[in-house]
Amino acid sequence: MEDYNFNLPKQTHDIFSVMARGNFISSNGSKDGMNRLYDIINNPENFDRLQAYFNVIRYNIERGNNFFYFSKLNEPNSEIEKKLERFERYIDIIDLFASMDNKITIGSRFRPGEIAEECNANVRLKQKLQKIPLYRSETLHNKVREICDLMSRDSFLEMEDEKTESYKVLDSYTYLLDVINSVAIYEDSGMNSDDAQGLIYN
Amino acid sequence: MSLQVNVKDLLSNLYHNRGVVELLFGQRDQVTVNELLGREDITEEQYRKLISLDILTEYENVVSLNDSVVAMFEDFMEIGEVTPGFINDYIYELKRHINFYQEAREMRFLRSIKKYLKRINATLTREIIKLQKNVDDTYKNESNYRIKLQKLEDYREKRDTIIDFIKKTSDIVEETRNLFNITNDTELFGIVSVLKASLIENLDFLIEIQTDITDFINKIQFQLDVYKKAQRLKEVKDHGTLHFKTNFREIVGNINTLKHNGHKTPKTKIPVDFLYTDDGHVLCKRIAEKYKITRLMVRGLADKMAGNFKDKGLEQQIKLDTEKLVERFLVQSKLNLFEYLMEYKFPKAIGTVTFEERLSLFVEIAMEYQTVMDFKYRLQYHDYEDADKNKKRLGYTLILPIKEKEKKEKTK
Repeated sequence: MEDYNFNLPKQTHDIFSVMARGNFISSNGSKDGMNRLYDIINNPENFDRLQAYFNVIRYNIERGNNFFYFSKLNEPNSEIEKKLERFERYIDIIDLFASMDNKITIGSRFRPGEIAEECNANVRLKQKLQKIPLYRSETLHNKVREICDLMSRDSFLEMEDEKTESYKVLDSYTYLLDVINSVAIYEDSGMNSDDAQGLIYN
Repeated sequence: MSLQVNVKDLLSNLYHNRGVVELLFGQRDQVTVNELLGREDITEEQYRKLISLDILTEYENVVSLNDSVVAMFEDFMEIGEVTPGFINDYIYELKRHINFYQEAREMRFLRSIKKYLKRINATLTREIIKLQKNVDDTYKNESNYRIKLQKLEDYREKRDTIIDFIKKTSDIVEETRNLFNITNDTELFGIVSVLKASLIENLDFLIEIQTDITDFINKIQFQLDVYKKAQRLKEVKDHGTLHFKTNFREIVGNINTLKHNGHKTPKTKIPVDFLYTDDGHVLCKRIAEKYKITRLMVRGLADKMAGNFKDKGLEQQIKLDTEKLVERFLVQSKLNLFEYLMEYKFPKAIGTVTFEERLSLFVEIAMEYQTVMDFKYRLQYHDYEDADKNKKRLGYTLILPIKEKEKKEKTK
């Protein structure tokens, strides 16, 4: 009954249960009516109401380019070491995606088999793939599968067809690109890198 | 060798082999000779004939439709490559005929002028629609980056060309306004005003397409740049200097997504009351099976409620009332207990109380409240009819409320 008092869309619970799990809602996701949820949040009237509603319990809806996610209000970000580890791994994965002939990016569809094949044919890619730290993956194919699985769990990819094992890159992938874009690399004007490092940090 | 001489032959040939034509149009440059001859709707002989008529061409074992046929279909369906060149031809023709008309005011030139004005209008609109479709399609489906960028740049050029043509056309219309006024031809006025309106509309549309193209190119460029950056970061990382030569640590520290900050989904405990419900039982059973806990499996689901559930409820209600009933009986002195119960007007909420029910109530009260009642140990008789209308007589003990005096004695 309280929903009506706030004039909230009836999908509020679905939206909450996706985003409170830490997942993204992307405009081009199709599983579980994700694109519909996106449209509902994207409606400015709904957005204001949902934002006000969730703010009460200290969740904040963050808007990206064609995706939404939750952050916590008034709570310090924690687990820095874990986060660093995760984003270092994302760099490895994105670097791999970026080095493919057919660059995998938002909206791309691919099968793990294709990537494994290309990595097999290209020594540089093969090395990259092998160096990504993951467990229990021996063959290249399984390793790519594990990467896809990991990225799907983080809601950056979506498995479109289980039979053909085809994946689609969701809009939330922009988030990773944005993060990478915002990292500044300090140039060391051609000097010995160890010295430069000392200048900046010590 | 081309034998196409008239429209009728061409149409009948196309119609006769419409299945093949459709296939070849749908899968351009993909169908091999063997594949085609494997189909049931064409024989080797018919195939040879179509080749000789120049409707089909064969090159390196791949069959394709004559380009003119393909172009005709594409024009009608407003698909295919953007070809603004046609507009230029029409503008040239238009100019030529306007010159002719200025020389000699003859109807045949005016007719051509009208024809080309109409054509320019139709072609412009069609090309713009194709442009829009192609831009969208390229952005979404072209998988190779460099080609995608190149294609979009090409479309940008084509867009500029079309804008150029629109300007040329409106210039011509402006210049010849006086000439057109002299003609006093209402049809021409109509065509020109429609053309003018659609030129403005198309110009707006092109501006929109331009923003789309720019937007797409920027997005691709952004992705390319980020990918380059990702590769550089990876390089830095491989050198082990990621944390020192970049502000990676700071950026990651500011990341506020729930997942990356270890915020778990809020979990709620199951309320105990829920476990007592049937749904709760199902849940318990599942858990019990999983962990092999027999204790949780003991309690079964509640049975289905009996059909006479309502009647039972009624009895209970009468029982609850007995005490009050007895109190009321005790303060009166006219009737004995049996008569009192038979006569008693039960509240409407209980509904009708049958003879049998009143009887059982009599027995119940007699047994439970012996101490406050005066048992006369004398039989009285009650005549009644049972359900089958048989006359019956019932004997009962006379029970009266205890009088004050007797009460005192009894307590002594």
